Amino acid sequence: MEDMYHADRAMSTQQDIKIKADKVQVYYADNHAIKDVDVEIADKTVTAFIGPSGCGKSTFLRCLNRMNDTIDICRVEGDITIDGEDIYDPKVDPVQLRAKVGMVFQKPNPFPKSIYDNVAYGPKIHGLARNKAELDEIVEKSLRKAALWNEAKDRLTAPGTGLSGGQQQRLCIARAIATAPEVLLMDEPCSALDPIATAQVEELIDELRQSYSVVIVTHSMQQAARVSQKTAFFHLGNLVEYDDTDKIFTNPEDSRTESYISGRIG
Amino acid sequence: MKTSLLAADARTKKRNAAEARFKAYGFAAIIVAMLALLILLTSVLGNGMSSFRQTYIALDVALPEEKLDKSGVRDLSVMSKVTTIGYAPILRNALLDALAAQGIETELSNKDIGNMISKEAAATVRNKVLANPDLVGQTVSFDVLASGRIDGYFKGRVTMESAALDGNTSPEALMIAQALADAGVMETKFNWNFFIWPDASDQRPEAAGLGVAILGSLYMMIVVLVLALPIGVASSIYLEEFAPKNRWTDLIEVNISNLAAVPSIVYGILGLAIFINFMEFNQSSPLVGGLVLTLMTLPTIIISTRAALKSVPPSIRDAALGVGASKMQSVFHHVLPLAAPGILTGTIIGLAQALGETAPLLLIGMVAFVREYPAAYTPESGLFGEASTALPVQVFNWTQRSDPAFVERASGAIITLLVFLLIMNAVAIYLRRRFERRW
Repeated sequence: MEDMYHADRAMSTQQDIKIKADKVQVYYADNHAIKDVDVEIADKTVTAFIGPSGCGKSTFLRCLNRMNDTIDICRVEGDITIDGEDIYDPKVDPVQLRAKVGMVFQKPNPFPKSIYDNVAYGPKIHGLARNKAELDEIVEKSLRKAALWNEAKDRLTAPGTGLSGGQQQRLCIARAIATAPEVLLMDEPCSALDPIATAQVEELIDELRQSYSVVIVTHSMQQAARVSQKTAFFHLGNLVEYDDTDKIFTNPEDSRTESYISGRIG
Repeated sequence: MKTSLLAADARTKKRNAAEARFKAYGFAAIIVAMLALLILLTSVLGNGMSSFRQTYIALDVALPEEKLDKSGVRDLSVMSKVTTIGYAPILRNALLDALAAQGIETELSNKDIGNMISKEAAATVRNKVLANPDLVGQTVSFDVLASGRIDGYFKGRVTMESAALDGNTSPEALMIAQALADAGVMETKFNWNFFIWPDASDQRPEAAGLGVAILGSLYMMIVVLVLALPIGVASSIYLEEFAPKNRWTDLIEVNISNLAAVPSIVYGILGLAIFINFMEFNQSSPLVGGLVLTLMTLPTIIISTRAALKSVPPSIRDAALGVGASKMQSVFHHVLPLAAPGILTGTIIGLAQALGETAPLLLIGMVAFVREYPAAYTPESGLFGEASTALPVQVFNWTQRSDPAFVERASGAIITLLVFLLIMNAVAIYLRRRFERRW
């Protein structure tokens, strides 16, 4: 198991750059929440953001699909590019961006509709399916990818809110990948789940790496070590260290990273 | 110091006593409220239930051609020259015949016996004859209204003692009425006409009904619903979801809350100034009434809609935006359906409030005495422009009249109004239960 991860990591570092952030600053009114963050996120890789609470890792994640736009007092400076295109360019419609950059939230938040409608909603509003058969196919494919198909195929019309916590979170993942995104952002996707559900979701994240660039925010360092190839450590709004996961956890360069990983700060 | 769990210490005793006192206050308050409600209901129901029953006399009326149709060819223009004054003696004769047939003897004058029949009865018979001229020359059975005093006797309002002091009736008339009732000619039965007939003059409480008032209230509710619901919901959605949060929107928010607390009569003055004096709509028309009530209801709807929108968890909005829905799609596909039960409840409560509102309607002239169904209440002409009245105003009107029979009518109108309000609130509760979704 461990060997496989090493092999994967070696391969993944050669991937193309998918997201590039340059001198990103985020302000909540007068509060400087993110300071000078430069990061390059590779394609077909799982990148983990770790750090103590309030260090800005979720804020930075939400910059990547402009979810911070919904907060009036939030201001973002600096450049964030996806495939070389500035996502904060005035010509960019955040709606199109979010179809390309899917998001899974901390708390499972399925729509209070049927399982089918939950998954079909994204493709419907983006016009990804021309007819019912295609839509059915997208729904099935997404649910299969999210490892929920076997559990849900007989109850597609049942409300999504009736599933267990772990199933709900996988439903949310299915919903996010139904719009065929290129990047998948996950904001502490397992923090509300029990260990078994967490293991299922982690396994799923590892599989999703085949097709997407996955960015995951997590509080659990073990989780970061298990699922990611690259890890970024945030502290007080700064990106302290960004490197291969192996390196961060075995031989960190910065003393703050070492303190955090060994449990002395955080 | 070692304490035992089995003995409560002084502090705990004091706390428990305070809690027990508080519970007792609450219980006492509820008892007082229930008693007040009980007294209210007993008084209203006690006074008003009888208005749903009415005394009728079953008469076989001979309709003589020589009196009702001098032309002899059923020419309506000639027939309509015979007024109700011409019909009254015919009805009186029919009643005298009925008395004779039952073998009831009396010393009362024919005029006093005629007074046992409502003045409205002649008009009813005349209308029927004009509507169907072929009836002339035949003997036709009519259920005609008994006069208010006779009706009151069967409902216990008029007694032999009070009749002795009354210029409009006499103990003898009541005795005849009793004899007729025993013979089955006179009967007190359920009175649908109370909900159909329009208002009647001071002298004919027995013929007064709520028809025009119910229709007027209905039309006003339609105007309020059609205007206040879309405007209120749309503006709340804008304010809650789209408007930037700044000093202006704060100001608007404070003002909407204040508007909800503005006395309703102020809206009446506003309506008078704008809709009647400036825009020159008809006075006392349901249109103007509805517009005024719309203004009054809007703040209620906006406040409850905003509260309903606020109560939708932000995670739903995030989820929708996260899959690439636009702001408007997230609101209309996800937030609004979840807020719908709250919006509906708020709207229905607002409507119920508007239905029972009197003060602003007085100012725009809806207090007028409306004797006839307005001509415009036919579908061909405009529905909303003619003078009308409304349920609460009808109550106000009737309570001002001197004849005690109108007290009964007013209470009946109050019961009707309360039933409508209960129905609306029940619908609100049903809709909330039906559409409430968990997340």
